[in-house]
Amino acid sequence: MSADHQTSGLGFVGQSVKRVEDQRLLTGNGRYVADINPPGVLHAAFVRSPFPHATIDRINVSAARRAPGVVAVMTAAEINAITNPFPPFLMLDGMYTPLFWALSDDRVRHIGDPVALVLAESRHLAEDAAELVEVDYTALEPVASIADALRPTSRQVWPKADGNLLYDSSTEYGDVDAVFAAADRVITERLSCQRQSNQPMETRGTVIEVDPRTGHLTVHSATQTSHVLRWVLAALTEKRSMGSSIAAFARNKDRRTAFIAGARSFMATNKDSLGNQDNSGARSQFRKDRSFPIHMQRIGLGLLAKDDYPTVLAQDIGGGFGAKGSVHREDVALAAAAIALGRSVKWIEDRVENLTDGGHAREEDLTVSIAVDHDGTMRGLKVDLIVDQGAYPGFPVGAGFTTQIMQVMFPGSYRFEAFGMRSRVVATNKGKYVAYRGPWANETWARERMVDIVARALRMSPVEVRLRNMIGESEMPTHMITGPTIDETMSVRKTLERALQVVDLDAFERERAEAAEQGRHLGIGFACYHEAAPGPPDYMDSVNAGSDALTAEVARATIEADGSVVVYTSQMPHGQSHETTYSQVAADELGVSIDDVKVVWGDTRRTPFSLIGTGGSRGGPLGGGAIKRSSREVRRMLIEEAARMLEASVDDIEIVGGNIHVAGVPSRGLTFAEVAGAVTATDPSAHPFDATVTYNGKGDGGWSCATHVCFVDIDLDTGKVAIPRYVVVEDCGPIINPAIVDGQVRGGVAQGIGAVLYESSIYDESANLQATTYMDYLIPTTMEIPDIEIHHIETLSPGENDFRGVGEGGMIGAPAAITNAIEDALAGRGARVTTQYLPPTTILELAGVIRPD
Amino acid sequence: MKIPAFSYHRPESLDEALGLLRDHGDDAKVLAGGQSLLPIMALRLGRPEHLIDIGRLPGLASITVDGRGKVIIGALVRHAAAEGSTDIAGHAPLVSEALPHVGHTAIRTRGTVCGSIAHADPAAELPAVALATDAIMVAESSDGVRHIRASDFFEGYLQTALRPDELLTEVRFPPWPDNTGAAVSEVSRRHGDFAMMGVACTISVADEITAAALSFFGADSIPIRATEAEQSLVGRQPDGDAFDDAAKIVMSTLQPGADLHASAAHRRHLAGVVTRRALAEATSRIGAMA
Ligand SMILES: Cc1cc2nc3c(=O)[nH]c(=O)nc-3n(C[C@H](O)[C@H](O)[C@H](O)COP(=O)(O)OP(=O)(O)OC[C@H]3O[C@@H](n4cnc5c(N)ncnc54)[C@H](O)[C@@H]3O)c2cc1C
Repeated sequence: MSADHQTSGLGFVGQSVKRVEDQRLLTGNGRYVADINPPGVLHAAFVRSPFPHATIDRINVSAARRAPGVVAVMTAAEINAITNPFPPFLMLDGMYTPLFWALSDDRVRHIGDPVALVLAESRHLAEDAAELVEVDYTALEPVASIADALRPTSRQVWPKADGNLLYDSSTEYGDVDAVFAAADRVITERLSCQRQSNQPMETRGTVIEVDPRTGHLTVHSATQTSHVLRWVLAALTEKRSMGSSIAAFARNKDRRTAFIAGARSFMATNKDSLGNQDNSGARSQFRKDRSFPIHMQRIGLGLLAKDDYPTVLAQDIGGGFGAKGSVHREDVALAAAAIALGRSVKWIEDRVENLTDGGHAREEDLTVSIAVDHDGTMRGLKVDLIVDQGAYPGFPVGAGFTTQIMQVMFPGSYRFEAFGMRSRVVATNKGKYVAYRGPWANETWARERMVDIVARALRMSPVEVRLRNMIGESEMPTHMITGPTIDETMSVRKTLERALQVVDLDAFERERAEAAEQGRHLGIGFACYHEAAPGPPDYMDSVNAGSDALTAEVARATIEADGSVVVYTSQMPHGQSHETTYSQVAADELGVSIDDVKVVWGDTRRTPFSLIGTGGSRGGPLGGGAIKRSSREVRRMLIEEAARMLEASVDDIEIVGGNIHVAGVPSRGLTFAEVAGAVTATDPSAHPFDATVTYNGKGDGGWSCATHVCFVDIDLDTGKVAIPRYVVVEDCGPIINPAIVDGQVRGGVAQGIGAVLYESSIYDESANLQATTYMDYLIPTTMEIPDIEIHHIETLSPGENDFRGVGEGGMIGAPAAITNAIEDALAGRGARVTTQYLPPTTILELAGVIRPD
Repeated sequence: MKIPAFSYHRPESLDEALGLLRDHGDDAKVLAGGQSLLPIMALRLGRPEHLIDIGRLPGLASITVDGRGKVIIGALVRHAAAEGSTDIAGHAPLVSEALPHVGHTAIRTRGTVCGSIAHADPAAELPAVALATDAIMVAESSDGVRHIRASDFFEGYLQTALRPDELLTEVRFPPWPDNTGAAVSEVSRRHGDFAMMGVACTISVADEITAAALSFFGADSIPIRATEAEQSLVGRQPDGDAFDDAAKIVMSTLQPGADLHASAAHRRHLAGVVTRRALAEATSRIGAMA
């Protein structure tokens, strides 16, 4: 930490201060979207497809329209007529992104695909009427699996795609063939991960409030990305001809001025990145879909012409885990309905909808080969990845972009001489793909699973293979073979070494032998990873040239007339305690108590713009970095004024406990209110202490790292896996709030345990979703989650701002550690774990206790 | 997931309740704790036109033990009340063994013993307990009272011998035999889930095994007794060999199905496991009771 803190701060950073959110949330006073009830609001229910794949031949809504309490029943005919399709975003070379609309019009592509929207006086009545909507479908052959999707004879989910292949990209780093030929052995395994669903406690929900006087829309939503939601709703509900847009834009001088200023500022902030953009993605898209530029232009011009963008107001949110980072088709349908009816509308998703269409993730097949020498030196890596994206890509980010992150991160902390990867994304008739906590995490699962498989093949210990191949401090700085810089923040080796001190392998082996005599099967599994949270400065461009433009984070800090500190973030907290940690950071910068800091988020009228919101473990490093810098800047302004008032030099002023004074003379100090009040007294409209800072993490940043160690005790009578001990050694740099960091790690590990032992959004061979309630989609409860033992290493990054992200890591490491432990426990029985999902039946099959049905 | 419209009745007397059942019969459902009925209605898998809430009926919330040791559990006895009852622990210990496995605390606080039996989920514990202990279900309607033996009560998946106009007013567990131990053994995916496979078991030993009951849940469309395995135990010593043999018979006679949570082979395997576990545990409890 900088010297600044010691002199002026009260030192909130680094302490487990109580969460400021808790008073509100734990006393039932949170304000969630379900709590918002504008006068006269209409309640929405969606009519959803019961078929995985079918044409819609006819829809008859007349009975539904006559049902009690119903105000409107809208189908694609009404909704799509006044909205634009979701356009391709983040186009990549070799990728085709289907255009899709809020409601399906001629075809349904998965169970739960929305086809109509009922608006009624209550959700009960809306659901009653939804049952009366008659839809005639003709079933089509469903595409139910990756294998189906790749079969040339399968029915196409999207007519313009190549069969069902939406993305196909291959990259080589180094001479892959030569390295594979030179190595002593090549070990190959096909690994597969099941479909999972982000399961936030609060489902999705949106209330569109219409101001009856002005028609202005206020969108209350459980969203991770308020500004993106605002823009997308503005863009997709402004359907007009290009000519009329241009004319409107030309007429509206204010709009024009604002647009030009905004564009200038965005270009200035992201100059380097924008210069780097390449257009190969757009060309790939154009080859498949010649209509897309027209939609893009219409949307772009519509945005210029539109003079009243909605306001997005998001407050307390009960989790999202990535799913709420997408803008959903329902949101657009609701906004369009509100505009058409001139009435406020409300939709709170139920759990069946959420499990069906709230977003799925992680269904991936990975064939991995490692070229290795007899001594355990891993030399080459080859990966063939196929992602099942379901019917619709998440918007704005689909699976294609995620495969790029997987590719960059796949080699992990190991030295490889060469690496080749092919990534494919296929379309199937399943629920849409969304990001899920560490969306790229299967690179860690597959790599760390493979390291164990390699070790077993070579009769070495998995720890030994890791240590032999892992980049250590003496080699730094260096680069991953995929590009990004490795500096001393890549401390995975340190976390592994610490883990080995913590767990005592010899003692475990003795325990294992004793347990074996009682017929119990113990195992231990390691997993090591580093993640870009935020990553070194060259990270984003390694993933995709130009995408660095996404990563800047803006924060604003002000000191109000009453002396209070207000910080404004574009982060969209939904369970991560930003309010507490940002108060800690700002308080330390400004030398005040956290009680003096107010954090403003989620209100697009007041918060800075962001293209992301909360995701990618950005909250600490980028969000926190921006808060720190804007607070520091506003402090500078305050001190300047105080120095003038105290007739002292700026350099002599310090702030302690909210008292601004000349060093050594605290008795002659000024309060924040005195300084701010002095300025505003003469001019109440003055707002002199107001700093907005953009921070893109350049120059510092770094990696977050961890080693997970899982111990399992398997009961071969039942197939159940107990986890008597779980150890995480993590390094996210200096910790803002240890209790919150531990909470993030524990939550991630809990979801990792869910992924391996409980959770599967399973479809049958006809693409019918099987797990649509919590009777069938099992999430672990407190009874299934062991105590999780967490150890911290706090490596400083070379730059000045040294917070690093921690939100996703728990879930990145856990599936590998758990599956490795399970294979270790069953290795004596010849078990080879190749799937992430290991429910009790699979455990017993692996152990040879039962045969598959 | 909102419950469709229905007419709500809250009778204040048993006669009124039985009258409503007579009038609405097929279109009505009794509402007890609501822990099975309401989720079914919310998912719109069942849509009765009338709900007859028996929550205010007098006199049905009692647990009594008669002079001969018979335990009578009224229709409004919640799982939680039964779980905490020393009378039940002393005189119908198999019920006490089963209750901690039923859902979670919140569910047991509202759900009723009789509701569970009337609902007849094949993976539920209490129907299997009723079958293991030869309990008697007392069904009342405006036509009179019927006493239905457990072996006649469970007819099919969520189907019982109760007529639409009948209320299950109580369940009677016969006096607990001497030298008899009880155990419930089950395996579920998570704590509190319905069982992948479970057994409610009693064993009576006097020098040798004189009687045994093995009543399985999660094994078929109704709770099911493994009579062949039970008979194989009679006359033998209560030891591992006898239990293994019984388990083998169970595994070869039960025909459990597959679902998302377990394959058929897994369930068959578990049937053997819970048989061995339950028999050993029940044996160890002989004498520890009543
Ligand atoms: C999350 C969850 C987990 C659960 N886990 C388990 C478990 O592990 N094991 C288990 O056994 N159960 C489990 N249950 C079900 C629970 O035990 C229910 O309480 C029980 O099955 C029904 O009792 P109830 O009083 O709530 O009945 P209700 O839900 O009110 O009624 C159920 C059915 O029985 C009928 N009925 C009820 N009482 C009578 C009566 N006196 N006469 C005639 N008909 C009647 C109703 O009409 C209805 O058809 C679980 C429930 C939930 C929600």
